[in-house]
Amino acid sequence: MRLKRSTSTNLILNLLVGICALILTFPLVWIVMMSLKQQAEIMTWPPTFVFSPTLENFRVLFDVAQAGATSYGTIKVDFLTPITNSVVIAIGSVIVSLLLGVPAGYVLARRDVPFKEDIAFFILGFRFAPALLIVIPLFSIFQTIGLYDTYLGMIWVYQVVTLPMIVWLSRSYIEDIPKDIEEAAAMDGAKPFRVVLHIVLPLLKPGLIGASLLIFLLAWHNFALGLILSSTKAPVTVALLKLLNPGVQFYPVMAAGLVVTMIIPVILIIIGQRHLERGLTFGAVK
Amino acid sequence: MANVRLEGVNKAYGTIPVLRNIDLTIDHGEFVVFVGPSGSGKSTLLRMIGGLERISAGRLLIDNAVVNDVDAADRNLGMVFQSYALYPHMTVRENLAFPLRMAKVDRVRIHARVAETACLLQIDHLLDRKPRQLSGGQRQRVAIGRAIVREPKVFLFDEPLSNLDTELRVQMRVQIAKLHKQLGNTMIYVTHDQVEAMTMANKIVVLKDGNIEQVGSPHDLYHNPASRFVAGFIGSPKMNFLNGNIEAAHESGMNVRLDAGATISVPVQPDKLLVGEPVTLGIRPDDFSPSAAEKKEIAIELDVDFIEHLGSVTYIYGNTGKEAVVAKAPRPEPPKSAGKVRLAAAPADCHLFTMNGKALRRLRAPANWG
Repeated sequence: MRLKRSTSTNLILNLLVGICALILTFPLVWIVMMSLKQQAEIMTWPPTFVFSPTLENFRVLFDVAQAGATSYGTIKVDFLTPITNSVVIAIGSVIVSLLLGVPAGYVLARRDVPFKEDIAFFILGFRFAPALLIVIPLFSIFQTIGLYDTYLGMIWVYQVVTLPMIVWLSRSYIEDIPKDIEEAAAMDGAKPFRVVLHIVLPLLKPGLIGASLLIFLLAWHNFALGLILSSTKAPVTVALLKLLNPGVQFYPVMAAGLVVTMIIPVILIIIGQRHLERGLTFGAVK
Repeated sequence: MANVRLEGVNKAYGTIPVLRNIDLTIDHGEFVVFVGPSGSGKSTLLRMIGGLERISAGRLLIDNAVVNDVDAADRNLGMVFQSYALYPHMTVRENLAFPLRMAKVDRVRIHARVAETACLLQIDHLLDRKPRQLSGGQRQRVAIGRAIVREPKVFLFDEPLSNLDTELRVQMRVQIAKLHKQLGNTMIYVTHDQVEAMTMANKIVVLKDGNIEQVGSPHDLYHNPASRFVAGFIGSPKMNFLNGNIEAAHESGMNVRLDAGATISVPVQPDKLLVGEPVTLGIRPDDFSPSAAEKKEIAIELDVDFIEHLGSVTYIYGNTGKEAVVAKAPRPEPPKSAGKVRLAAAPADCHLFTMNGKALRRLRAPANWG
């Protein structure tokens, strides 16, 4: 096998990678630029790449006191509440999923349960179902039992998104832990609960950090559930939609909202990149 | 004092039987080795004693108490796994302390026991390392340390040396045997390596297809194998098997006519019913001598295929025209190359097996060593 590529092949490959990167980053760069421009500037054609940036749009987003008075009209924006909502709902969903999903994954990995594979597949099946399938019946159920527009209801319904992931990921991580190690702990006098506490959980930690990050992002990005099942407790993805007023459209403010919404996942991904990769590949490599 | 007794123990996975009616008594302080080919059920038997596999039928007693339904965690046994099964997230010190922590031993005592055990196994300089920073032999010693630190009633070893290289295996073999002498505990050891079984055991249990073939001392198994399987399994190189027919039975043995030619009188328990039946004659490679000095000896002529020089011994691989034969070459001058060679063996050194593999009792077996 020839290990060295010719210079021209290298050049072409690098060019292709460069194009891919450009295509992927273009919308991001565009949104960041929009968020720093004035309303008038974003409408100009051809677009300007040199402009004097302004933080006005971000001020409008968060400055509740001024009630959203802008140089180009008045909009009523409260962006801080949806961000708080999203943080509470996403973190709450991760915690609940970990508490329920890891034990479930353990049982599916290690114990002889009748119809084990069917149960596992049923849980995973929720990942394939479109959210609208459950959201419409849930709308009336939630209103009847008083879960509509509550954090509890939102965290509960978000389990549809996050729980199957945690169950499946933790199941595959647990299957990767040699059974001998658990048996050794049992021989050393550890009861099943202490085996999990002292041996399994510490070994799962790196995988679970990655998995938690992953499901946090899933929860953060969810749109359909929040749109239908909440109003004052709506997450940030739904709040973004409300910035699209019919008639007057405040594109730069909305772009600023998008930047704020993106920034949290981006920071998390950068911090947790190693764990995230590990979370995704933990099952594949020894 | 910890003895282990199995009474009519059975194990089945679904409808597939793995172990059938195992009866076995292991006395306090014995070093018992379960040996057999893979799939013979030896590991399953060990795991049942340890509490890691359920017993399908029969009773298991440790210290005269039935423990069928006692959790592995409560049996107070120590086990060394083939894969070592060290806790990768803990240091050696924490690995050794784990069984004591589970037993709620106080800190001062844990510290003392860990130090004592580490010293005994010469791993005291490794206490702050993680398992991944250790070599195979060191991991093995940590695994043994973790099993003995709690001073359990019985030690179980599940093929503990099979992941080590040859040199280390011999070293560890000696160390485990020494450890047994020092601690005096009951040890049960599983291996597929008959050399390990022969060198370490007080008592060997040979298993085949879920049945006990024979239980006995290494000396017993070597000199009085109960079946052709045990005869072939114990001893290296393997015992040679030559086919023949019983010509006559008389009070000092039976006359066998070998397919390879010779007729010989083997001193085994005579049985008139077997006259005319086909039998198998077994001769160990080490029991051959240069040539027939006495008439009573059997002599066979071999076509030499290959000669293996091992330094202290030389083995001749040849055939009689019917069967392949391995023989220890005569000293001081082993044959140099291919050709024909005449070898002889004393009838008293021969074994005789019926067609269903059962051994006929030898009348002149060597006395026990010890």
